[in-house]
Amino acid sequence: MAATDPTSPTWLAAGRMRRLPLALLVMVALASLLLAVGMGSVTISPQALWAVLTGQGDPLHRTLIFELRLPRALAAFGTGGLLAVAGALMQVLLRNPLADPYVLGVSGGAAVAALAAMLAGLGGVAVSGSAFVGALASTLLVFGLAHGTGSWTPTRLLLTGVVVAAGWGAMITFMLSVGPTEKLPGMLYWLMGDLAYSRGPWPALGLLVIIWLALVPLARSLNVLARGPLQAAALGVAVQPLEGAVYVMASLLTAVAVTTAGSIGFVGLVVPHMLRLVLGNDQRVILPASILAGGTLLTLADTLARILIAPEQLPVGVITALLGVPTFLYLLYRSR
Amino acid sequence: MKAGIGRRLWGAGVALLFSVAATPVWAETCVIDDADREVCLAQPASRIVALSPGATELVFAAGAGDQVVGVVSFSDYPPEAKQRQSVGSHTRLDLETVLSLEPDLLVGWVTGNPHEQLEKLQRLGMSLYLSEPRRFEEVATSLERLATLAGTRERGQVAADEFRAGVGELRERYADASPVRVFYQVWDEPLMTVNDEHLISQAISLCGGKNVFGELPRLVPRIGEEAVLAADPEAIVAGGMGEENRDWLDDWERFEELNAVRRDNLFFVPPSLIQRPTPRLLEGTRILCDHLETARGRH
Repeated sequence: MAATDPTSPTWLAAGRMRRLPLALLVMVALASLLLAVGMGSVTISPQALWAVLTGQGDPLHRTLIFELRLPRALAAFGTGGLLAVAGALMQVLLRNPLADPYVLGVSGGAAVAALAAMLAGLGGVAVSGSAFVGALASTLLVFGLAHGTGSWTPTRLLLTGVVVAAGWGAMITFMLSVGPTEKLPGMLYWLMGDLAYSRGPWPALGLLVIIWLALVPLARSLNVLARGPLQAAALGVAVQPLEGAVYVMASLLTAVAVTTAGSIGFVGLVVPHMLRLVLGNDQRVILPASILAGGTLLTLADTLARILIAPEQLPVGVITALLGVPTFLYLLYRSR
Repeated sequence: MKAGIGRRLWGAGVALLFSVAATPVWAETCVIDDADREVCLAQPASRIVALSPGATELVFAAGAGDQVVGVVSFSDYPPEAKQRQSVGSHTRLDLETVLSLEPDLLVGWVTGNPHEQLEKLQRLGMSLYLSEPRRFEEVATSLERLATLAGTRERGQVAADEFRAGVGELRERYADASPVRVFYQVWDEPLMTVNDEHLISQAISLCGGKNVFGELPRLVPRIGEEAVLAADPEAIVAGGMGEENRDWLDDWERFEELNAVRRDNLFFVPPSLIQRPTPRLLEGTRILCDHLETARGRH
């Protein structure tokens, strides 16, 4: 505990060690946003881009950058950050490397509610709204069932989540089978996750800032929790309230992410693991780093999805996996 | 307050007078689209982007092909359409390319294009005509309306009249023909057909046929082979993958007990001629009517 004593010089060194990777990630994140704004199926030269950013430039370029590229890049960043930090929280909570919001059925509940809204002929905001309600309903269902009459354990929660997710999966397949053919493309693209459908970056970005601030005081308790509930309780952490809060928080983050861009898998699972392999398992670093790295990954992936075979557009989920899988496997291989 | 309104009316009157004087042939023109929205243009559309292959065909047929600057993938007819700039696929539009073409009219697809993207384009000030003809008559009115917006009214009228006359002729010829029970196969795996709401089914009844699955509730129902065996149609009509491929029809030869198979009433109609709501539908319907007439002669 000497390292946490604010008067000791090692604490200062440790603080710098924590800040350096975060500062690097902030720079990478800004670079990714700049790249996303600079690249698209219409070529805008760096000079023209600069002119637009300084308030002049061609009106068409202004529209492209401020109405299309920037909102979409920010939505991608927000969504990626939310998913990654939600995954990191779930992995601490369940002390299981495979945990992520998708495994626990949160996105399944969101998808079922959103597809039901589409089948009912609703569109736009109503679909996003019901996705949000579905995600939270699924969260409460899993939480309530895992609580049951017995004791609440991470294993029970994980198992309940996996089974509920399988149930949602069956309902999704059923709805796709009976749904009218002309609605299928929209439903499928929603399931794949696609930022072309996002309505605006603000809910995701706003929540990202709030969560960053909320996690600063929580991170040390989470560090203790990651070692196991008994140890945490022995060190004076109120384990059950903390676990409940973390679970609800992670679900809320997922709900907003899914509402913004459909269900994009993979980010929540892989980004926290990649960071842990490189930076170690200190939640004070991992949680903010997840926000930055998740946002960066999805921003880059969405930029590629827009330009790779332009004017044809790809769903972003394809690219996140294509970028993430080799990177993750390389890090895992090297860590042995 | 009153004076303000008066002045504004005055201003509007003067503006109107000037615009009428400046463009004697063209005042602001409005049409109703297939989603019952009013679409108004102050100038004839000179740069049109068509957001579905069917819309592309309609705009070209309405005489406004020269004004088309952008199309989506699979816009393969007329051949000139393939020379136009692609703006992505109809399910995922490349909004940047759409905007960079600086169009003054978009022709969208009600159930095919993503709502979010259409909303965004409208928010950015684009004029959008939503197209989705569901009846023969609506193909003709679409030609008239699109021609009105593009300032090619005469050519559009000719195309619409030709289409109406062709349909009328077929309707008259087969009005009293003995009914043939038809199964139309849209897709192979899963097996899919159409109900009576669909244009293809309307083409079948125009030719004096009866769609055996016309009563099903969904527009494009998924069915099983058993349902086809139970319905025992007198003729099976299929499109298929590609314009020449008869594989789907040959597959039915397994079932000797089907009347359609015994009488050799397995017919191919090129899918692009009957599955798109465009003037070429008339050509596809003529082929279909000939096939059903052949079926009538076989017992």
